[in-house]
Amino acid sequence: MDPNTTQILASGIAKGAAFLGAGICMGIGALGPGVGEGYVAGKACEGVARSPEQAGLITRTMLIGQAVSESTGIYSLVIALLLIFTTS
Amino acid sequence: MIVQADILKVFLYLGAALSTGIASLSAGYGEGFAAAHTARAMMRQPNANNNLTRTMLISQAIVESGAIFALVISMLLLFGGFTSRETDWAKAFSLLGAGLAIGLGCTGPNFGSGYSAGMAIDGIARNPSKSGRITANMLIGQAITESGTIFSLVISLLLLYTVPAQMEDPTLMKIIVKSCAYLTAGLVIGIGTFGPGAGIGYVAGKANISISKHSKDQGLITRTMFLGAAVSESTAIYALVVAFLLIFVS
Repeated sequence: MDPNTTQILASGIAKGAAFLGAGICMGIGALGPGVGEGYVAGKACEGVARSPEQAGLITRTMLIGQAVSESTGIYSLVIALLLIFTTS
Repeated sequence: MIVQADILKVFLYLGAALSTGIASLSAGYGEGFAAAHTARAMMRQPNANNNLTRTMLISQAIVESGAIFALVISMLLLFGGFTSRETDWAKAFSLLGAGLAIGLGCTGPNFGSGYSAGMAIDGIARNPSKSGRITANMLIGQAITESGTIFSLVISLLLLYTVPAQMEDPTLMKIIVKSCAYLTAGLVIGIGTFGPGAGIGYVAGKANISISKHSKDQGLITRTMFLGAAVSESTAIYALVVAFLLIFVS
């Protein structure tokens, strides 16, 4: 292969790998927050059912917990967007 | 950069097989979970067998929907006439990506829907007089759970029909980049909907069982379920956004 083709091939593979990485990052990164937030909300439903007078407190705690759990999902999104837009 | 017809068939057959194969795995588990809980519920409440059977069949139909979408995509891959045109490598990878998207993408929602159905049936066994309310809540929960499947179906259809068979002014660089982008679009929505699907299914299941225990607080429980499910859904939407970016912007 002449050096020019090798150069094109290398940069193509690099950009392709960045896209592949973006997808895998966002895909697997969505797994944990999705399951975790669902678990929080499920337990919150049980809690609200057991003591409905504390619904406000339980909902607030649920949302705070989910917000913290969501952070890793947002990290994945940021990394995926960086891989898509800033790599060349 | 035209793919040989035989090589294109490898992509098509692999995509079709992975699509229905992976989807059937989770659909079978979800429906079996619902049926197993129904059998146990029948033992506890033989008099409510009509309600139990009805709820089991409705819930199984919803769990099955993901597998049916995957079957449709498989059929389109096999018989949609994709071999009749000359196709470049990017389109070949997009066909494989379409199969992976719907196959992997309905896994989480199917597990989630199955769990929700099983818990609804447990709830009916505990409190048969509230079976209407529990079934209604189960259907709402499963509808939110299945949104991940719909996202995957959208991406699959986009990969099948909006990606051109041959791109304009192809270069080696563009072909490699586009191939990776299309394959990844399928992977990201496929893996990305697993967590939210399973998570929302858990929420819906717990809401169903809570309604059977404390049916007078149904409004509060359904509201909490909606709120929790909406937050849990957000990561699936991030995955959808990344998939759209990969298809249209890359």
